[in-house]
Amino acid sequence: MDIRINHLTKVYSDYTAMSAPDLKIPSGESFGLVGNNGAGKTTLFRCLMDLIEPTTGEVIIGDMPVQVNGDWKEFTGSYLDENFLIGHLLPEEYFDFIASLHRLSKEDVSKKLGEFEELFNGEILGGDKLIRDLSKGNQKKVGIAAALLFDPKVLVLDEPFANLDPSTQIRLKDLLKRLKTDRGVTMLISSHDLQHVTEVCERIVLLEKGHIINDIKTSSQTLAELEEYFSKVGQTV
Amino acid sequence: MIKLLRLYGIEWKESRRSPLWHKNLIVKLLLAFTFIYLFGMFVFLGVILDDLMIKLPFDEINYNTYKESFVLRRLNQFLLYYFLADLIMRYFMQKLPALAIQPLLHLPIPKSGLAHFLLGKSLLSPLNWGHALLFVPFIIELYSNLSFAEASSWTLAIAGVVVFNNFFLTFIKRTSEVDWRVFISMLVLLSMIIAAHWFDLIDFLALSADVFNAFFLQPITAVIPWVLALLFYGLNFYYLKSNLYLSKLSKSKRSKVTYVGAGILSRFGVVGRLAEMEFKLIWRHKRTRTVLLMTILFLGYGLLVFPVDTYQGNYLMYVLFSLMITGMFILNYGQYLLGWEGSYFDHIITRNVSFEDLYMSKFLVFIIVSAAAMLLSIPYAFFGWKILMVLFSVFLFNIGLATHVVMFFGSLNPKKIDLNAGSALNWQGVGAAQFLLVIPVMGIPLGLFGLGVLLGDETLGLIFIAVAGLIGLFGTRIWIKMLAKWLFSQRYKIAKDFRNQ
Repeated sequence: MDIRINHLTKVYSDYTAMSAPDLKIPSGESFGLVGNNGAGKTTLFRCLMDLIEPTTGEVIIGDMPVQVNGDWKEFTGSYLDENFLIGHLLPEEYFDFIASLHRLSKEDVSKKLGEFEELFNGEILGGDKLIRDLSKGNQKKVGIAAALLFDPKVLVLDEPFANLDPSTQIRLKDLLKRLKTDRGVTMLISSHDLQHVTEVCERIVLLEKGHIINDIKTSSQTLAELEEYFSKVGQTV
Repeated sequence: MIKLLRLYGIEWKESRRSPLWHKNLIVKLLLAFTFIYLFGMFVFLGVILDDLMIKLPFDEINYNTYKESFVLRRLNQFLLYYFLADLIMRYFMQKLPALAIQPLLHLPIPKSGLAHFLLGKSLLSPLNWGHALLFVPFIIELYSNLSFAEASSWTLAIAGVVVFNNFFLTFIKRTSEVDWRVFISMLVLLSMIIAAHWFDLIDFLALSADVFNAFFLQPITAVIPWVLALLFYGLNFYYLKSNLYLSKLSKSKRSKVTYVGAGILSRFGVVGRLAEMEFKLIWRHKRTRTVLLMTILFLGYGLLVFPVDTYQGNYLMYVLFSLMITGMFILNYGQYLLGWEGSYFDHIITRNVSFEDLYMSKFLVFIIVSAAAMLLSIPYAFFGWKILMVLFSVFLFNIGLATHVVMFFGSLNPKKIDLNAGSALNWQGVGAAQFLLVIPVMGIPLGLFGLGVLLGDETLGLIFIAVAGLIGLFGTRIWIKMLAKWLFSQRYKIAKDFRNQ
């Protein structure tokens, strides 16, 4: 499923939070978004998920603008922050709920959750802790797993590596890579971790103060390029 | 001291930037209207207070003996009741915003400073200066009747009592939150007072008069309430100072997973599934559970009316109580319709469920609870089959029309409810809009009933109510579509508000 972003801007009364004039993400691409705080990553993702109203422009997933109807929700998995979690449920209950919305059978769910066993590291399922009582890292695992539960064609994750322990970060990285090669999922991932994001994504877009300042096809030099940029940013202004 | 003043500066900013000011025009107008109304009522009451005292149909106090102090003496008889009522009211209304200082705890401000800050802040509550509205006009009058010293000492004493009430109650409330025995002993004390009153063991009028007369007869006594207030300030202060720790402020109790209900609802497709989730939410939080338990309590309210001779054939009362029996849950739960789920509204937007199904599921929850209340109140037929008729037509109104009205108001400018902070006496989210909601929900059926009586008889009134309900019920799809459309158009704003709250 491809994504097109046309003339998308989000302007608050006195500043432009994000401006993405023209962006095409072909089906199956793994798309990485990097930028310092306030660069507009979350704003872009929120526009993408129809959580905030863009000032101009539109986001089209497949052939449907996200603002017009909710068809894209059927095949788009996303986890941006804790506002996506229902805190008073057990992780299992939350998964069951999401699965039922996508008409998955109980067997499908348990099979799917089996795939996340490594990621969960035994800390999510079978416990008696409600989601709200989990640690930040474990909450994130629940959110990411829920986003992947129904084999989405599009996956949007905001800072998936933050708050995770190193082992989980590596496992998540492998999982995402497999999703790309095995299932051809269109992935949009933002991250502050340059190494992870260059490893997972074949294309990196660099945001600065709401504007796209670089659009790179990932190569062996990309990480060095990005590090170079981030060490200098702000000094030249 | 400078630091403390800075804290008040932050406080001032907080109140100025409160989401209260970011409401839409209609709600702002309604709020302003309510505020002006209440304000006016108090001032008006204050102005006519002395006339009121003169015209009261008691005559234990001889006007000719006292003349100048007559009005005051009369008022003094009732002040004990007044301030007792004030205490009870405070128990329910006054907030203890200890958590608000959480971000300040690690800063280089001494704990004692924070404690002073919290205590001083409590004085700013309208529950304190509200008294001034009532008393100031009366006091102005007082100065022309009594000597300057007398009037001043009485005024000072009354102010002292208000301050005393403030600190006394905050102390009781603070301690009763961690130790239920305090609450029980207060309850026992209150029941003893009521019992003593009931059986005429103590003449409260005389007691009140003695106490409050002393304040102007013996000016020095005006110090007493201030001393007591200071005492409770001190108690509060030491309690706060020794308890200002994160672990004590935030209750990080592990929640227990409880849910009764066998998932029958999930067989009704997405709507049923969502309704089931809603029941889970209700059952797993203290505050929502209380709403449900209140509904059961209200079932018993019929006993106050239906079997009582005085109300025999008083259909207006029947309608009113029927409204509460089957409608209380709709009103109490529905007023925060979206607020309950405010902490995961982003999830609600991005999941593949239409807003129509969302509203449908909430509608289903209302119907289930309301129908259960209806079924459980069938035994009231024992007191006359007509009661059943009233109950049923009002039930139709409640599920057919009240639901939709409440769902609309509950979606209007919703406030996020922090479910985890839930105690039974949590007033978060309560606003003027919530009180105004009662007007259509109670007013429409009563109006319809009145119209029916005017044009024919009680039966016609009931028919009007039932028909209105049926019309609403048949239009469900249309209303829900409209609500969903409205929510769709408001989704960005609501999501933004929830994220910021």
